Amino acid sequence: MSAADVESSLELSLTGSGALPGALPPARSRIFKIIVIGDSNVGKTCLTYRFCAGRFPQRTEATIGVDFRERAVAIDGERIKIQLWDTAGQERFRKSMVQHYYRNVHAVVFVYDMTNIASFHSLPSWIEECKQHLLANDIPRILVGNKCDLRSAIQVPTDLAQKFADTHSMPLFETSAKNPNDNDHVEAIFMTLAHKLKSHKPLMLSQPPDHDEIHIKPEPKPTTSCWC
Amino acid sequence: MAISEGGLLTDEIRCKVWPKLLSVNTDDLPPLPGKELREDSKDYQQVLLDVRRSLRRFPPGMPDDQREGLQEELIDIILHVLKRNPQLHYYQGYHDIVVTFLLVVGDRLATALVEKLSTHHLRDFMDPTMDNTKHILNYLMPIIDQVNPEVHDFMQSAEVGTIFALSWLITWFGHVLSDFRHVVRLYDFFLACHPLMPIYFAAVIVLHREQEVLDCECDMASVHHLLSQIPQDLPYESLISKAGDLFVQFPPSELAKEAAQAERTAASTFKDFELASVQQRPDTVLRQRFRERLRGEERLQGEERTKSILTKPRTNRFVKLAVMGLTVALGAAALAVVKSALEWAPKFELQIFP
Repeated sequence: MSAADVESSLELSLTGSGALPGALPPARSRIFKIIVIGDSNVGKTCLTYRFCAGRFPQRTEATIGVDFRERAVAIDGERIKIQLWDTAGQERFRKSMVQHYYRNVHAVVFVYDMTNIASFHSLPSWIEECKQHLLANDIPRILVGNKCDLRSAIQVPTDLAQKFADTHSMPLFETSAKNPNDNDHVEAIFMTLAHKLKSHKPLMLSQPPDHDEIHIKPEPKPTTSCWC
Repeated sequence: MAISEGGLLTDEIRCKVWPKLLSVNTDDLPPLPGKELREDSKDYQQVLLDVRRSLRRFPPGMPDDQREGLQEELIDIILHVLKRNPQLHYYQGYHDIVVTFLLVVGDRLATALVEKLSTHHLRDFMDPTMDNTKHILNYLMPIIDQVNPEVHDFMQSAEVGTIFALSWLITWFGHVLSDFRHVVRLYDFFLACHPLMPIYFAAVIVLHREQEVLDCECDMASVHHLLSQIPQDLPYESLISKAGDLFVQFPPSELAKEAAQAERTAASTFKDFELASVQQRPDTVLRQRFRERLRGEERLQGEERTKSILTKPRTNRFVKLAVMGLTVALGAAALAVVKSALEWAPKFELQIFP
């Protein structure tokens, strides 16, 4: 079942190529939390799945709300968990539902479909919205043009996208989540981001090592469960 | 029938009963929607994208051309309902609900049923914004709190939010369950109940997995990931009956305050919601059913039943004690009375312990 395929990316990721064979102390690993946003059908689910599971999903459906995928990687000998939050593309979801997930993100990936100019034209509003939700200004952001394998259908020329990326001080990547030869490329995009994050904020929050610590933490106020 | 064990069993029966549950007259169905809708619909592109990608909703062995035909019908039905009801707004996931009706009752009847459903049960999801959807999701944690405060507190500490249940709620679980039989079984249940029943069912699923939740790492990602993956082998019948029990024990009116608190701004929308909800009658029927069933319950089950009633250890401690006393004194036969009394308990408790 493809549902199981897509959803099993967490499990896959833990045994994937990037996972470390236990050479390092297992207790704490830093977590890089990355949110992936962009219009409907640009390939956010496929990109995140590709990175976390190492292959293109057979069939994907519209994402409703927010899906989560994770992969453990080793960077310079340090074990790091990369968490990807894959969001719904329809505007009504991002207006009221997605805000919750902007909290504490360490990086943002904007995705557009190279064969769909409208998805490129939506980017300014995504970027603007992102600015409103993010607490810090210096959070790394990258721009990804997806579906570059559909050469004959390209509507967004590279120079146009590059100009846009420069204006917003973002690196641009054109890729295909589908093309098997591009596997290294999807991998490289997220790994580049991870490297950047690693050097960006050396004291990023760690995951609590065990449950005991949880009880020591002050209880959050009940209102934290909502998105107000 | 739709609520009781097994539900409506066959699609043939569903074709007859679903219209009745929605008060749709099957002798007077509107004509089939035409293709001309596609040109002037603002939602067409989004609907098209979502329907084209919804391959999993169709039976695995279905030939491609048959499936494609149904997908076209699906697009037409959705656009037809939206066109006739400009106050309704399409959301991703709506197509998961409509496809269920299409597959069970065919395009003509599905159009009529979905239109009715969209102006009633699904009305809040189809507002211009998702604020009311968020409000309904805010009932989830109070229900969990009533039954298992430990799970509730754990989830609050993890700050998991309620988005993991969003697709459950707005697709009536059609998006997340891969076995179509389970989906239609739930639709039987939800069609016969109050529009808020899906959120009670969502709570029951979380509670069913309480141990897994508590064993999980207490952070947003882990808990979100665990809960958003619904096990496909859930004991549906017992969960359905449990959801019904919870609805009777903790009706929406009692949870409204807590839900509104979680949201702060929700006080006004709740009233609107109550007004908009016209499903009072099935709700009453459900309550009666549960009371009747309880009266008929065998003595042996009595003890277990008491346990399930007494699931509010933190706030209901005094009531719990009182009930225990009663149970010991009168035995299982008194349970029906106790249960009815418990429905009033929170108010009762307020009076005694202000």
